[in-house]
Amino acid sequence: MFANLNLMQFVVTGIAMGFIYSLVATEYTLIYNATGLVNFAHESFIVLGAYLFGGTFVRALGLPFWLAILLTIVCMAVFGIIVSMIVLNPLRNLQFITYAMFGTMMLSRILTEVARLAWGPIPFAVPGFLRSSIKIGSTFMPSSYIYIIAVSIVIVTGLQVFFKMTKMGKAMICVSQNKDAAALMGINVTRSINMTVAISAVLCGIIGILATPLFNISTGMAASAALKGFCAGVIGGFGSYPGAIIGGILIGLLEQFGTLLFPTVYKDVVAFAVMILFLLIRPSGIIKAKKA
Amino acid sequence: MLTMKKKTIVQLIAWAVALAAVLIVFKSSNVYIQSIMNMLMYNIVLVLGLNFITGLTGQMNLGTVGMLALGAYTYGILTVTAGWNPWVALFAMFAVGFAVGRLLGYPSLRLKGFYLSLTTIGFGEIIRLLATNIEPLTGGTMGFGNIKRLSTWFYTSQAKSDYFYLLLAFAVAAIVIANRIVNSKWGRAFKAVRDNPEAAEASGINISRLKIQAFTLAAIYAAFGGAMYAGYNTYLNPSGFTLEYSQNYVAMLMIGGIGTVPGCIIGATIVTILPEMLRKFADYYWIMFCTVCIVMAILVPDGLWPLIKKLFARLSNSAQKRKAKVA
Repeated sequence: MFANLNLMQFVVTGIAMGFIYSLVATEYTLIYNATGLVNFAHESFIVLGAYLFGGTFVRALGLPFWLAILLTIVCMAVFGIIVSMIVLNPLRNLQFITYAMFGTMMLSRILTEVARLAWGPIPFAVPGFLRSSIKIGSTFMPSSYIYIIAVSIVIVTGLQVFFKMTKMGKAMICVSQNKDAAALMGINVTRSINMTVAISAVLCGIIGILATPLFNISTGMAASAALKGFCAGVIGGFGSYPGAIIGGILIGLLEQFGTLLFPTVYKDVVAFAVMILFLLIRPSGIIKAKKA
Repeated sequence: MLTMKKKTIVQLIAWAVALAAVLIVFKSSNVYIQSIMNMLMYNIVLVLGLNFITGLTGQMNLGTVGMLALGAYTYGILTVTAGWNPWVALFAMFAVGFAVGRLLGYPSLRLKGFYLSLTTIGFGEIIRLLATNIEPLTGGTMGFGNIKRLSTWFYTSQAKSDYFYLLLAFAVAAIVIANRIVNSKWGRAFKAVRDNPEAAEASGINISRLKIQAFTLAAIYAAFGGAMYAGYNTYLNPSGFTLEYSQNYVAMLMIGGIGTVPGCIIGATIVTILPEMLRKFADYYWIMFCTVCIVMAILVPDGLWPLIKKLFARLSNSAQKRKAKVA
């Protein structure tokens, strides 16, 4: 039955989608480690990045792709700092975590509405952006997959270097481990959190750009990727960066190979089912975060 | 100072006035407002259920929509496909509630905070996907129609407008029961689990059992809300049961005042009615509503009910002072 199936194709697609989930999970981990909050507005950050890139810089202003990408990254960084100052920092100090979650959910809705009002409700594509593809043997390899995998690896190693080598990165890790102690050591906690949120917003922007060749740009484009990114984070071990990568790729692959066993309509259930299984059997995930 | 007995009498009168006001508004309004009031009734039931688990016990539940959908579909399938009497089908809601309460309650023993909210999101999504894909049972994306309404001695026609009285009766019953539970030893134990689990355990409270009980209560309330929803709309479609819906119920809880019954009623009323009132802003109504919500989350995280209570206390205090001065 499986004889005429090209398994390589499943692996390639699974890994490429998996890296998208990994990036999403990495971004959750960033904000979670920095503020102790889970960012439910994450999905709309991604959507915003995609719209800024595709809607404003490429389609409306007609800029070349490299400039559009650069401008999107700058805009997302500024946006991240603003959001952190207005919403995430006040929310972090609330008594119960439920209030804070609620705030980020509402933030997400506001951003989605802003995107809909600013760029219109009709989905669109960015023509000519990473549309080509290569064929290796009988395996079909869109160039967007190659970029996704390459960019993800660069980002993940870059983040590791940043957190291990630079002073700013080390300060962020201190803040994520113990905010009071960090403040006593002379680290500006609020500024450090602003920086973290800015980095995560940039990451979201990049995810949004990378996802444009896969999905059309619309307000709902990141919904399933964002939820599966959650699952990836939990499976890999929430709070751990390597865990986020492993979890993402695992989900990407399981999802692809799941279609061999189950009807395709249940493809989206796989991630949740695996997550719930993990939560019941091994809640700390594959790689347990070292955080206290 | 009012004595205890006087206080209950005052409260009863206040409830009676509120009930009469609701009935008068309902009778004198048009179909549009009546349908909003119907929605409000099942929303109140659902948010009271959520209050047990998120408000009192402090376990974030973003799967309300899954519980609602499960109740609604069970009611629909039992009354239409199996041909049960709607009243008998209503009793099946207890079974649904128990099953879901156990199903979600056990993970909640191991998971805290956002892990739990993720699991409940997953639960809601799975229910929605199942409802979409098990076509022979649920009708899939085509929806599930012709659901029977409950009939009683005062109401036998299948008219939509009369159904409100039944929903109102259910909502009032839900409020009375929830009020009794919140102000009982049981309700205080729930709060203790939220505020300080270690201290609660040290005082001999069985946390695991309480959490499962809270989930079961929430699920029973939500299943009943689902049956009310199904009976009122007579049509179900899985595309409506999204995460957005669950978030709305959390919004009701937050805006009204988490953990209190009057807070739930205020929150349900605001979240149901405010978007409708903002409709005149056309495209901008939803963004305005969400902005109101987020500003309230930051500035008034405890909700409106504590504020109202404080205001009343201050008023009665100053009135007493004035009386004392005159004397």
